[in-house]
Amino acid sequence: MIALLFLLFGLFIMFFGALGLLRFPDVYTRLHATAKCDTGGAISILLALALAADFSLTGKLKFLVIALMIAMINPMVSHAIARAAYKSGIKPKAVVDMYAWDNP
Amino acid sequence: MGRVHFYLRERLDEVRGRVLYESYEARKLPPWERVGITWLTLFASWLVVSGKFSPPHIVTGALVTLLIAIITRDFLTEDIRQTGHLLSKAAYIFLFLVPQYLFIMAFRLLESNLRVVKNVILMDINPGIVKVKSDLHSNAGLTVLANSITLTPGTLTLDVSKKLGEAYLYIHWIDVEALDQQKAGVKIKGELEEWLKKIFW
Repeated sequence: MIALLFLLFGLFIMFFGALGLLRFPDVYTRLHATAKCDTGGAISILLALALAADFSLTGKLKFLVIALMIAMINPMVSHAIARAAYKSGIKPKAVVDMYAWDNP
Repeated sequence: MGRVHFYLRERLDEVRGRVLYESYEARKLPPWERVGITWLTLFASWLVVSGKFSPPHIVTGALVTLLIAIITRDFLTEDIRQTGHLLSKAAYIFLFLVPQYLFIMAFRLLESNLRVVKNVILMDINPGIVKVKSDLHSNAGLTVLANSITLTPGTLTLDVSKKLGEAYLYIHWIDVEALDQQKAGVKIKGELEEWLKKIFW
């Protein structure tokens, strides 16, 4: 029952992450949607799998190891994509841009 | 020092004590403590990933992780503060600080997911890139701080720059509320930096 709730919540978050990827205006705001919703949705689905699967204790702990790896790697990759996009000349649609003030 | 005023002498003593304290805190750990912390981490992950508890597996894992820990002792633990004994420090970090940090970050992640859902439905965004000063100096501490800022609601780290011993973070904020460095820093970092300053320098 709790596993089903976690699975439905992960599906909900992943759906709105994909919708945000389609609706937001530029690279940086789309990265907001993907970085947060992918991390939260994937961790929620992995928790549901760890609760529902009939493995031994170490088999369930491996799901938590994968969740921790996703939580550490996903922000780094989104940071690298955002920095590479800025360095290759894509201007953000922003009200204030202090990064362009310091790196003209 | 004879002709210096009393309050000036007091201030000088305070500054000298602070410099002594901070240079003591900024020294590296001794090598065997670095090897010990790295070995504990690697051995715990070996036990979880292998999943077998017979004596040959445990002895093989202990020897191989000890060899790897001796070679790579500087990668993980170069930036940890030097306070107290190794065992009390390890117990404090792994029993109090890390569970509190994981608990807080889990609820911040949930909040940020719901906030992205709200932004997608209503499209009430007002994006901007702001610059924030950080009190941490070490590489590992800045990495963990930038990753946590990316997972907290409404913010995404763009770049980190270190100039003259001070570290600055450039942050893409989806709904800009404050342009001032102090106010933006308080709003973005919150209590995360206080947690990290207890471990890293």
